[in-house]
Amino acid sequence: MVTCPSCGTVAADGSAFCEHCGTALGASAPAAVAVLETPDEPATPVCRSCGGTIAPDGYCEHCGELAVSARDHWTELPSPLVGGVCDKGRRKSRNEDAMALAVVGTTAVLVVCDGVSNIPDSDVASLAASRAARDVLATAEPQTVSSWSALLITAAAAADQAIADAVGDMTGRAEPPSCTFVATVVDGPTVVAGWLGDSRAYWIPDEGDSHQISVDDSAANEMIARGIPRARAEASREGHAITRWLGPDAETVVPQTATTRAQGPGWVLVVSDGLWNYCSEAADVADLLHRTAEKVGPSPDAIAGELVRWANEQGGHDNITAALARVAAPFDTVQTEETVSAQSAPPAA
Amino acid sequence: MADFRTEVFQNEFLSDGATDVHAIVTVTSSGAGTAASSGGGVAEIVIIDTSGSMSGPNIEAAKYAAQVAVDQIADGTWFAVIGGSHVANRAFPYPNAPVAIVQMEPGAREEAKRAISFMRPSGGTAMSTWLRLADAIFAMVPQAAQKHAILLTDGRNESEPRAELSKAISDVTGHFQCDARGVGSSWEVAELREIATALLGTVDLIRNPADIAEDFKALVNESMSKGVADAELRVWAPQGAQVLFVRRVAPTVEDITSRRTEVNALTGAFPTGAWGDESRDYHVAIRVPSKPVGSEQLAARVQIAVGGDVLASGLVKARWSDDSSLTARINPEVAHYTGQAELASVIQEGLAAKASGDEATATVKLGRAVQLAAETGNEEATSRLRRVVEIDDEEKGTVRLKRNADKLDEMALDTASTKTTRVRR
Repeated sequence: MVTCPSCGTVAADGSAFCEHCGTALGASAPAAVAVLETPDEPATPVCRSCGGTIAPDGYCEHCGELAVSARDHWTELPSPLVGGVCDKGRRKSRNEDAMALAVVGTTAVLVVCDGVSNIPDSDVASLAASRAARDVLATAEPQTVSSWSALLITAAAAADQAIADAVGDMTGRAEPPSCTFVATVVDGPTVVAGWLGDSRAYWIPDEGDSHQISVDDSAANEMIARGIPRARAEASREGHAITRWLGPDAETVVPQTATTRAQGPGWVLVVSDGLWNYCSEAADVADLLHRTAEKVGPSPDAIAGELVRWANEQGGHDNITAALARVAAPFDTVQTEETVSAQSAPPAA
Repeated sequence: MADFRTEVFQNEFLSDGATDVHAIVTVTSSGAGTAASSGGGVAEIVIIDTSGSMSGPNIEAAKYAAQVAVDQIADGTWFAVIGGSHVANRAFPYPNAPVAIVQMEPGAREEAKRAISFMRPSGGTAMSTWLRLADAIFAMVPQAAQKHAILLTDGRNESEPRAELSKAISDVTGHFQCDARGVGSSWEVAELREIATALLGTVDLIRNPADIAEDFKALVNESMSKGVADAELRVWAPQGAQVLFVRRVAPTVEDITSRRTEVNALTGAFPTGAWGDESRDYHVAIRVPSKPVGSEQLAARVQIAVGGDVLASGLVKARWSDDSSLTARINPEVAHYTGQAELASVIQEGLAAKASGDEATATVKLGRAVQLAAETGNEEATSRLRRVVEIDDEEKGTVRLKRNADKLDEMALDTASTKTTRVRR
């Protein structure tokens, strides 16, 4: 039996493409690892543009819009306070971003992985990695900050192993699939993030200064460290090169970690560069998020959907992922150590 | 049942802000079988001009050709023979026979050939009456799924106003198919083209009366070999889009845009007549509202339907891109048939200008035709043009009108103007 690596539909023997979403069914395509759970998907596909029926040829019967596969666009909402949207964007032919969200008790888990562009199976790698990391974090017992940090390291290792399991034999591949990694655990007011690469976690309080919790493993950041202005560094051609990642050719898969302790209500926002390319500075991201919440209301899936729509409107050059968790009361008033990792202190907002 | 398949040739990439999508859709049928196997039966009517002008070798050749055609008509086929002048007369079944159309069998075949031998030329020419009588006879066999007529004339439609003919053509359109043939140089290409175009047939010139029989034989055989009685081309375009035109471009150019009948608000059907094992190309142009760069949408579904069932579907797509190496590419099939369609119209316009004495326009138009025929590799068109103009520079389209061009050569160029060559792949 062959299962579509994108949407999980069981394919007829010998088919080269998934009948449901059109994804190529490679002989080495992994089955179980990359099955997407889309319980909300209606039996008859409906056009996202006009609500018309999708014909068997994959286009809307009414407006001709190309039907979007479940891999190209999906929403997760594990609780009313935790949700996200992962989207192909406008320019890329595949969605190589992935996200995996979970809520266990009062703990929220947000994982975003961004597959490295245009390498075959990067989309498979990112989905497998994000889900493996989520599963490690979501099955853990209540933790202290330091044990969350250790668990993030375990989660990254599990994500890396999931990539190896999903993409199979790497011999003969010039460029093995790889992806970024950012995982955030929101445990009451404690926010612990771990990352490899340039997918980001932001802390955006309702009031007061926002900051980026993660620090990009990117050439741009190395340039910023050398004193080049952020905007210029991020716009530079080599700025987007990442210095760490997950995958068979990764030198290290140990993430940097950082912790933030919320002093009041706010949002943890985890995004891929498809979003922050259009809005990078924490203060700007905070403005965008607050404007967006005012427009569409407080539901995290609605906010994420609107952020994705906004990024598409800016050009949608890359895949776009936005995931949010709401941090609400109670908050202790005791100031605690904000960071546990000396090398990853959050930059001043 | 025949198998249909479609193949779409297009450049689906549009630049930012672009709206027009062009595609060539090749429709190919196979396993069509024969007309006799299509069920419901076939009806065939041969219409011979019996006006006074036919006297001499023409009428003898036409009668012989009609007899050859009758020989080719398969047993079981409904058939009749009409003699046409300023009125139409049923030659067979005999005018006093109780039925207007009979099924072919050896006895009927012999009797029909005898009836044809009695045909005598006299009177004028009013083709509307011929078409109306054929229509009335075909109406006697509603069970026949496929109805086909051959019409042969040697002269102009001089006994009635042109509007009478046009009215009759429009009244019988959709009832039967008709191939029209002119013998000699006294008939009017435009008149027969109007008949053949509306009635989904072909028009051709027969230079030598002795060749009529061979042509009739081929036409009847062709008709008998069409196992799909009636197929329609369907074009779906999305909400908000506009179908700019639908053209058949091979084997001949024909704009069929105006023949649309509605299947539903977004889908139009265009009649294509009967199909044997063959391949036809259609050029479809759709205007869709522009979308942001990176968007993809379907611009048209081009389908073949028989008896209301869609048997094959081709997808015409639109993808907006800012990569000019993708968007600037012109699809070779679209370019080829755009040129061939222009070739047909400049030949017709050039000859019309020449006939009305406007030599300047004729020279420009036929010059352009020479250029297009060379560009699109239509060597037959080039050799037909050569008989009408002196070519000074093929590439630039510089020509001079021949002073003593043969009328038959001009008519041959005119009748064949819509014939296209296929793209060399």
